[in-house]
Amino acid sequence: MKAYLNGIGWVTGTGCGMGSHGGDQVFANRPLPALARRDVFAEPNQRFGRMSDYAKLGLAALAFALRDAGLEAWSEKRPFGVVAGTRLGCLATDLDYQRTVLLEGGGLASPNLFAYTLANCFLGDAAIQFGLTGSLLAVNETGSAGLGAIAMALDQLALKEEPVVLAGVCDLAPPEPLASVAEFLPGAAFLVLAEAPGPRCYGSVTVAADGGIACNGTSVGSMAQLIDAALKHNGISQQAENTEEGTTC
Amino acid sequence: MNEVCITAAQTVTGLGTGVQALFDGMMAGNSAVAPVQRFGTARYISPNACCVPGLTADEDSLLYPLLERLLDGFPAVPADCRLLLASTKGPVDLMERLQRGEAVDPAQLTMERVLSWVGERCGTSGPALNVNAACASSTLALARAAQMIALGRCEAALVVCLDLVSEFVFSGFSALQALSPTRCRPFDKNRDGLTLGEGGAALLLMSRERARREGRPVLGVVAGWGAANDATHITAPARDACGLIQTVRQALSRAALTTDAIAAVSAHGTATQYNDQMELTALRALFPGRTLPVHSVKGAIGHTLGAAGGIEAALGLKCLEAGVLPPTVGLIEPDPEGVGFVSDAAQDIRGDYLLSTNSGFGGVNAAVILSRGDA
Repeated sequence: MKAYLNGIGWVTGTGCGMGSHGGDQVFANRPLPALARRDVFAEPNQRFGRMSDYAKLGLAALAFALRDAGLEAWSEKRPFGVVAGTRLGCLATDLDYQRTVLLEGGGLASPNLFAYTLANCFLGDAAIQFGLTGSLLAVNETGSAGLGAIAMALDQLALKEEPVVLAGVCDLAPPEPLASVAEFLPGAAFLVLAEAPGPRCYGSVTVAADGGIACNGTSVGSMAQLIDAALKHNGISQQAENTEEGTTC
Repeated sequence: MNEVCITAAQTVTGLGTGVQALFDGMMAGNSAVAPVQRFGTARYISPNACCVPGLTADEDSLLYPLLERLLDGFPAVPADCRLLLASTKGPVDLMERLQRGEAVDPAQLTMERVLSWVGERCGTSGPALNVNAACASSTLALARAAQMIALGRCEAALVVCLDLVSEFVFSGFSALQALSPTRCRPFDKNRDGLTLGEGGAALLLMSRERARREGRPVLGVVAGWGAANDATHITAPARDACGLIQTVRQALSRAALTTDAIAAVSAHGTATQYNDQMELTALRALFPGRTLPVHSVKGAIGHTLGAAGGIEAALGLKCLEAGVLPPTVGLIEPDPEGVGFVSDAAQDIRGDYLLSTNSGFGGVNAAVILSRGDA
């Protein structure tokens, strides 16, 4: 199965980014930016401030990916799907919520926080924000660094389930109890994969018979490598706009 | 496209171990709803849930004895089988204990550990993943497993679905005022909320050719599947049922069927006002003018969250085999919109296809269409 890669967006230790703006190394071992609504959306967004950090991170990366593909604006709901790979999901939110359960025998448990204790919660926000009515799910993988989500998205496209599927990864830095046992670079990055090329196409993504993923003919072992291969193909990576600070969008 | 067969199915619920025990219990109108002993419920709006009897674990998560019961006696799984889990909260009980200051290895909190445990227990060696799509997790996992086999990505896939009753989740639904103070009554005119449950399901899917080659029984066929989002609200369903209607139409299209072919429906039926109303709206739109056997298992075994769709699919295969849909336990007086669909008595299934649906937080909806096997 071959899909066209029509947009790339991310929020990582290097800041917020889109494929068209370039970026040498999307994932970096730096703190994630503290996202405010204005970093992501020009218009007021009442929901954003109430979201968990995990939800803000995922929603922002999806917004940048759709913007990069020219698909952020919409007037009618669209049957686009999303597959989000995640190592720890919303575990940080879970720990925050559980602290509210420990108070007063659970009588002070926060219903708003509870609504964000599912790894797929930010996809519901994305569905509302961007009018996405396809299949939206999160997946925890074993050791394939987000590529299981990409493979699943390619399958959905192959079966004509949806014309466009966003796929990628979303993880906050591991919360304190897991800081020493879960080692990975935090951040969120999503690709806009489609059955037809868009105006800003970064080439193609394919899945081999053995499940391996390739971008523009180059086999990749992680989301970071996939994005790198896509940007290099378009000669974008050398125009990087990274800032050294890397902690603001 | 490869035809996708289900060659083995097992369940563990509050009504016991095994699909037959679940089917028999539901046919008898039994319910596993009982006061929760696992944690205090004084500050919550309900004292009740459907726990699996006798589940204990000294140091580890209750997930593992649940998995042992589920997989004990399960047919051998091919080593090249893909593994898909479906769980919303995994070992949430360990996270609760950690937060209470107990000595818990934080590495045990991750879904990766559960995936590795199941992979080692079943002898699978390939990539594995856990699907998290709220209460539609296992239906979506089934759909994705079927998708992989249909496309030839693999010849076999094991879908394992599980979730626990935990204070974490119990407190959340209580805070959302979504729990029934007594026992849930799906599709009842006077329904007043859901009852939580726990359980697991394991389903082994294979291509028809692989099943034939290995001499496996075919309990049923995954004829179609679909999934769609309401894009309306984070915790409430779309009142016009747009997402569920789209989901069922996708599944019908995948199965190359019309609604006339559907002989029974295993609905999500949580017994919350909004969910059940949404589902009845969808059924009226999809099956206009028809009477159709529809049921919900939630009054018997509670809402098992990420495990719900897997348990319901396993039960659905048994229902197709028996030609009867068990009663909706807990139902007393049907919602006027549900008359002609739901019943407190068993209903005959006159046809070959059963539709099973689930919906959940984040606006997710998922459906599978199962057809009778030849085992």
